[in-house]
Amino acid sequence: MIREITLGQYYPVDSVIHRLDPRVKLLGTLVFLVALFVVDSWTMYGVAAVVLGILIKLSNVPLKFMTKGLKNILILLLISVSFNLFLTPGEPIFQLGILKISKEGLTIALKMGIRLILLVMGSSLMTLTTTPNQLTDGMEKGLRAFKKIGVPVHEISMMMSIALRFIPILIEETDKIMKAQQARGADFESGNIIQRAKAMVPILVPLFIGAFRRANDLAMAMEARCYRGGEGRTKMKPLKYEARDGIAYFLMFLYFAGAVGSRFVPLV
Amino acid sequence: MKIIEALNLVYNYIRTDENDKVVESTRALDGVNVSIESGDFVCVLGHNGSGKSTLAKLINGLNLPSEGTVLVSSKDTRNEQDLWDIRKETGMVFQNPDNQIIASVVEEDVGFGPENIGIPTEEIWNRVNTALEAVGMTAYRKKSPNRLSGGQKQRVAIAGTMAMIPKTIVLDEPTAMLDPTGRAEVIRTIKELNKTQGVTIILITHYMEETVDADRIIVMDQGKIVMDGTPKEVFKNVEELKAIRMDVPEVTELAWKLQKAGMPVPDSILTREELVECLQKCLPKQVDFEPNFVKRKPLHIDITDPVIRVRHLDHVYQKGTAMESYALKDVSFDVQRGSIVGFIGHTGSGKSTLTQHLNGLLKATEGVIEVNFRDNADLIKTGKNSKNVYKGSGSNSNVKNNHKNSGYEGEKDGANADTLKGTALNDSIESGQGTGFINIYDTNFNMKQLRFKIGLVFQYPEYQLFEVDVITDVMFGPKNQGLSEDEARKRAEEALKMVGLDSKFWKKSPFELSGGQKRRVAIAGVLAMHPEVLILDEPTAGLDPAGRDDLFKQIRELHDKVGMTIILVSHSMDDVARYTDQVIVLDHGVLKMTGTPEEIFKRYQELESMGLGAPQMTYLIHDLKDVGIRFEDRPDTVSEMADCIIDLWKRYNKSVKSNKIDASGKEAN
Repeated sequence: MIREITLGQYYPVDSVIHRLDPRVKLLGTLVFLVALFVVDSWTMYGVAAVVLGILIKLSNVPLKFMTKGLKNILILLLISVSFNLFLTPGEPIFQLGILKISKEGLTIALKMGIRLILLVMGSSLMTLTTTPNQLTDGMEKGLRAFKKIGVPVHEISMMMSIALRFIPILIEETDKIMKAQQARGADFESGNIIQRAKAMVPILVPLFIGAFRRANDLAMAMEARCYRGGEGRTKMKPLKYEARDGIAYFLMFLYFAGAVGSRFVPLV
Repeated sequence: MKIIEALNLVYNYIRTDENDKVVESTRALDGVNVSIESGDFVCVLGHNGSGKSTLAKLINGLNLPSEGTVLVSSKDTRNEQDLWDIRKETGMVFQNPDNQIIASVVEEDVGFGPENIGIPTEEIWNRVNTALEAVGMTAYRKKSPNRLSGGQKQRVAIAGTMAMIPKTIVLDEPTAMLDPTGRAEVIRTIKELNKTQGVTIILITHYMEETVDADRIIVMDQGKIVMDGTPKEVFKNVEELKAIRMDVPEVTELAWKLQKAGMPVPDSILTREELVECLQKCLPKQVDFEPNFVKRKPLHIDITDPVIRVRHLDHVYQKGTAMESYALKDVSFDVQRGSIVGFIGHTGSGKSTLTQHLNGLLKATEGVIEVNFRDNADLIKTGKNSKNVYKGSGSNSNVKNNHKNSGYEGEKDGANADTLKGTALNDSIESGQGTGFINIYDTNFNMKQLRFKIGLVFQYPEYQLFEVDVITDVMFGPKNQGLSEDEARKRAEEALKMVGLDSKFWKKSPFELSGGQKRRVAIAGVLAMHPEVLILDEPTAGLDPAGRDDLFKQIRELHDKVGMTIILVSHSMDDVARYTDQVIVLDHGVLKMTGTPEEIFKRYQELESMGLGAPQMTYLIHDLKDVGIRFEDRPDTVSEMADCIIDLWKRYNKSVKSNKIDASGKEAN
């Protein structure tokens, strides 16, 4: 259960998408997300879905792997959809007691649902096809400009990549700690919210202590391997734009222009 | 050529309070003088806290000496401008494989070091390729470290240092957290690097067997070097080593015992081959002389009074999908009340999954687990179907009489049973037999109560310790059982006494304790709930030899005094042979064998095909058999083996003498 969270995990296969420059993918994701909120017609949602479908197909990541990530936001999805569904005023099409579904509500809820699903799948496509290292390299280089105004870009990206590396390890550790405490009769499932919060203490304390120990070990291991910040570092996989990255930027531009343009064209 | 030189090293660990005032100062190294020759394979031995890890960190310049000097290729680690060169030259590999891999892809991690020292991109790739090749991990270069085994992760870590083209690699207990397969893998790799690439190796370890092939062994105790020499020179001093809480390889210990008994065995035998060769000369070849030897444990036990009965247990992940995989498949076995049962199997064989089923942390996909405790009362939720205790099929009826008479129980030493008599735990366990089998998957079965009856202690105590002090932590379980503060405290004190933790530690924070003490607290935390069965998952992982022996002594005592049923999950065949009555062997989720250690280790070749092995002594018996020296009874500990051989030798000598007298008598006539 807890181990099946796929967000932020790299799926190691080879594909065009995997080989794209991370900066392209970062900007691409941003463009895709922004475009989702720019467009407001069924046609364009269809287009976005098709584009995403093609990208997933190109990425060689099994669709099942992508939808698994969706399970984790299912509750969020249900809440936001039902809020929109029941609380939007308008022409009622269905009524049960105080629950009322309006036509507008239905439309908004559906659109919201589609948006959220596309949003999550779009961004997980990026994390699934980009190693955390590439991702942070991409950020580091993409955000180089900010370094001049004192933003520690290298440090931030290093922190991110380490965090991503340790997320699965810490999740597994949480699972083990929970079991160890359950074996001593700890109960995480029953009781009111305060009792439940109290029941988290036996999990959080060992988890935090473990995390600090790991951090300490890791810092030492990095130092032993001559890590001393971003100065004077070279790259094993330096970011260099290839022809395909140019094409990708071009397609991205087309897509975004299309999305913006669609606002001015009457579409269903 | 001297590659590393340490002169009069002193290192103090200093703890300060908020105002930078020194609260405590511990001397970890105390006047260490050592120099290491280029290309050597050096092992550093010493119990936990002897200063060996501190020495390692000083060599790499991670810590700077409080007094004295460390020279690496004549460069002082104190000179800041040389520090990066020193670290380039001396790679370090640490104990925990997870905590030293930085990147999420194997090859990127190997490239991390070269990136840091500014190597050009193309050269980084060359180095990464060569380094991965050298440790045999090329096939895994695109994989995520999370998907590798412990041994593979350590090889990646070694590759990471190799990519810096070091002259020396310092490995700080790189095998402590690995299973036997992973351990062998890592040791093979570093030996290979030493031989083919001429890299100087400094290996810090607890496993004596790993040191036998070294060029040199350095033994440390209390921050000082107490012995320094070739394995032969060092392991000659069996008594001195034992005095500083160290072990020697089992074969060496056996040879030493034989020598002490007067047998013509030379000093410091390190390998089985040497010992067999020497024994061949002084023991009879034929089977005329049956050794007069009584085994401590029965050769076979019938399970007459099972406390747990497992039938056709399946655990399937993602059933019905393409990813369907069996963690456990059709597992059936019984656990005899009051016995010590060993679960063995390689990592991923399903041992841990199985133990988690026994106390209900995991639920089986298929199959039945039945329990039969002396007190089953709480296990059924009161409610509509509360009288659903069902009778076991067949064997249950004759339980009552057989229990005390079984050969196993008869050997229990009556004399030690007194110390704990009268404690509540003792009463609850000693009184009465099982009261009938209950299926734990019955709808009205109370799973939470089961966890109190079958206590499970996980491998790392760090996963369960969380309270401000030891005693409160141990009280956590009893309080969850619904006991009052006083009652819980009484239980906790009793449990802490049982695991032999001195009361001066009870008010300390559990995080300040040593590894062995933490484990004791963790075990006490489970014992305080008064379980009838105690499951220990790798209880001695990461402890030094003396800590290992101490803990096992305590577990053994617990069993002997209180008659507790103990399930021991272990990688160490020697421990299993020494301490268990019954063994269950798992391989890929399937139960492959069950029987006494005797019966299991007879089939050592099958065990090997599963990536396991057999105790050292089993191998020795077979080696001896190959040269014609047979033992019908199969001793499985060093002292049993020694008794057996000495007895054989004495009687053989006597008969040789009397034959001679006979012969000379005849001549005279």
